[in-house]
Amino acid sequence: MILAIRLPGRTALKNGQQNKRLRHAVEGVSLWLSVMLMLFVHPLYAEASLSGSADVENAGILRFVDDAGRWQEPALVLDSEFDIRVSGLIADSRLSRSFRNTGDQWREGVFVFPLPDDASVYGLTMKVGERTIVGKVRPKPEARKIYETAKKEGRHAANVEQQRPNLFTARVANIPPGETVTVDLQFQQPVQYRAGEFELRLPTTLTPRYMPGTPVAGTSSQWEGGWSVPTTQVPDASAISPFTVLPGDVDANSHRARIQMKIDAGLPLARVFSPSHRLESRQDGQAVMVTPEGGDVLMNRDFVVRWRPLAGQEPTAAVFHQRWKDEDYLMTMLVPGTGPVRSVPRELVFVIDTSGSMAGESIRQAQAALERGLDTLKRDDRFNIIRFSSQAHAMFMQPVPATGTNLARARRYVAGLNADGGTEMASALSLAMEQSEPFEETAGARVRQLVFITDGAVGNEAALFRQIRTGLKNQRLFTVGIGSAPNMHFMREAARWGRGTYTAIQDPSDVRGPLDTLFSAMESPVLTNIDVQWPGQTGQAESFPRRPGDLFAGDPLIQVVRGSAPAGELKISALKADGSTWQKTLDLQQAAEGVGIGRQWAREKIDSLLDAGNLTGGEVDKALVTELAVAHGLMSPYTSFVAVDETPVRGQTDPLSTEQLPTLLPKGSTSGMLRYPQTATYGPLMTALGLTGLMFAAAIVLLQRREVA
Amino acid sequence: MSRLLLLLFTTSATLLVFGLWIPIKAVVAQELLELAWAESQARQLETRPWPWADTWPVARLTMPGLGDSMIVLAGGHGESLAFGPGQVLGNESGQGPLVIAGHRDTHFRKLRYLEPGSELRLQDQDSGWHEYRVLRTRIVDSRIEQIDTLRLSDDTLLLVTCYPFDSVDAGGPLRYVVEARAGGPAVLEQKVQTETVVGT
Repeated sequence: MILAIRLPGRTALKNGQQNKRLRHAVEGVSLWLSVMLMLFVHPLYAEASLSGSADVENAGILRFVDDAGRWQEPALVLDSEFDIRVSGLIADSRLSRSFRNTGDQWREGVFVFPLPDDASVYGLTMKVGERTIVGKVRPKPEARKIYETAKKEGRHAANVEQQRPNLFTARVANIPPGETVTVDLQFQQPVQYRAGEFELRLPTTLTPRYMPGTPVAGTSSQWEGGWSVPTTQVPDASAISPFTVLPGDVDANSHRARIQMKIDAGLPLARVFSPSHRLESRQDGQAVMVTPEGGDVLMNRDFVVRWRPLAGQEPTAAVFHQRWKDEDYLMTMLVPGTGPVRSVPRELVFVIDTSGSMAGESIRQAQAALERGLDTLKRDDRFNIIRFSSQAHAMFMQPVPATGTNLARARRYVAGLNADGGTEMASALSLAMEQSEPFEETAGARVRQLVFITDGAVGNEAALFRQIRTGLKNQRLFTVGIGSAPNMHFMREAARWGRGTYTAIQDPSDVRGPLDTLFSAMESPVLTNIDVQWPGQTGQAESFPRRPGDLFAGDPLIQVVRGSAPAGELKISALKADGSTWQKTLDLQQAAEGVGIGRQWAREKIDSLLDAGNLTGGEVDKALVTELAVAHGLMSPYTSFVAVDETPVRGQTDPLSTEQLPTLLPKGSTSGMLRYPQTATYGPLMTALGLTGLMFAAAIVLLQRREVA
Repeated sequence: MSRLLLLLFTTSATLLVFGLWIPIKAVVAQELLELAWAESQARQLETRPWPWADTWPVARLTMPGLGDSMIVLAGGHGESLAFGPGQVLGNESGQGPLVIAGHRDTHFRKLRYLEPGSELRLQDQDSGWHEYRVLRTRIVDSRIEQIDTLRLSDDTLLLVTCYPFDSVDAGGPLRYVVEARAGGPAVLEQKVQTETVVGT
């Protein structure tokens, strides 16, 4: 086009002056001018094509991409509402997720989201306009099939699956343009009670997880919409790696949660507070109503609420009873209190995660936590620091005495840590566990403990738990969760397998409290060899956890049992730190009526069945877990919820497009995700088309000439 | 009939011109960029190659094995990629991983000839040369994979272009990724610098 404009000008000049040299010069100049003009024109039409979309492509921010890898405007707006009721030791929550379709096409929404790691999901309802469809528990493959069939037939459908104990996938099919489909999830979780303080944690997003192993080739057909591809060590990596975006990248109303909480603790409360959010709370009779200040909260960090009973009124024992389907269920809690603690010399190995997911606020919290840990060392203690990202590196070859010089060196080392690289936890664990001879944990001998400071952002938790179980021997493992959205499933289970305890830090100002509790608890377990005797005939009552682990200072002993009536006495005996026997009886007749205890029992039983499978290294009894989960209407690794409508709403000719909803990047962490840019031009295509066209034209011309001739 | 033929002819010719224009522009722009690069090195400033450009040269990338050298521009948007490979990731201090993307049909056409062990050299604004060695090449699907920049080590250089190389589909999802690590004796730096001064 430009060349065409230039040509007449050039001919005019040529006619005016016959000088050949000048013609060449003018030609050269005009060619250059046209080049310059093109450089000038190019940005204009590039801009014109961009003006259609509201946002300009930005490196470092993920956008939705379609099959061709092109940018796509997200159409689904996500709205969440938590309604939590705490009564006694169990918190019951209803989580409403609305998927509003702002596009002009039918959509399927896929959303990977976290729930508390000890949550038992027991209900799903789907609401479309005025209609409410109640979901059912089905074995996982069956539920998925029902959902896919309904999706294909154009019916409303919703399906929620468990990927990890704290990670779920919701699928909602056939959301009409401009309309909203709401999925209500009901779940319950036990309230944490430690050192006289209750805590409830609701995760709202997840820290992008590291997937160790090498990518498995040829798996793109099984792609489920994550940023990661399946690897040799994490075969389901794509299902647990939702895209992470900044709050500014989603609709202004999307990814906000309304939270309403009612705490009916059954005893007067001194204080309700949150280390993560500012709260508004008001007394309502016995109960306390709690909402975050300022209404909706961004779903970019865990919502943590703690409450403390009035001093002197802290519970020391509690019994709850529920009769469900002609069976008696009891839940008991017993706080042994702080016994005499024997101070024995320790060997502490701090393992600190310096992987990329820790970048930002997290690494500073981890450094603060580690420094706090160094403070607790006594002169007889020995210590070492191991940092890991893609590789593990120990500061000292061997654990060293906690002398002033060594501590000063350690502090400098800690201050200089920065976060990048992968999260190869396995190598760090084996380095930490094998660095020293196994110790006998007897009175007088040195006790060896590992403190693991991490955000737990890995995809291969199960393998790590196995490694901890087999490699730890007489050492104990304690975990400290870091960041706005730590993987609490990892913290809890790693500590459980490591016969230790765990804690999590919310923000830099919160480092001291939880850590001091942990470090003082670490001095020594209060009770070991705990034995629980239920009244009645032996073997009749089935209680969980089957073999209670060692209790640390401030930890309660919680048991859930089926088949024991609220009568008689519960006998508990254990070994105290100084070697003497500790005994306690609990009168079960005082049991208060509770709810959800049957479900809690079923959940504990499922967990113990899963453990048994992992322990023997063999297969989990899938049939038994499925049966139990279906009977109690629970979500499990092998059962999921599905709700389908009966009548089709989407015509078979209307297309349905699937949209993966992203999660928000946890607050304070640094975004590291970069989308591959578009790196091809239409040049070759246009050249090829042009050449073909020209050849075609030439062929016609030749043919015509031949005809004329 | 002849009118139709003329229409076909002009359309094809226009298409051809536009199609050829892209590689021509890529070559011509590099010449202009050489000037801007020399200027930005001399003045230690971001120098825009033409006044209305929304990008500027940030580095020079050479592939000695392939006898290729090019100026790398800031940013990975289509606007800068039309004139030269774009630096998608990397800060001015030169620390941390670098990601450079280029069009497979212009500047990064020769990327396919890079093999593990091939040498790459990068000159930053301070005229310092950094040597890289290709570690591996990989084909990724941009629909399902992103670059996790926090997990790249500091001495990584990633070159990204579209794949397959001979495809005419400009919107394909596959990418060809060349991963290189900083390496090679430091003594080489001086030698390399003199070589390229002669070269330009």
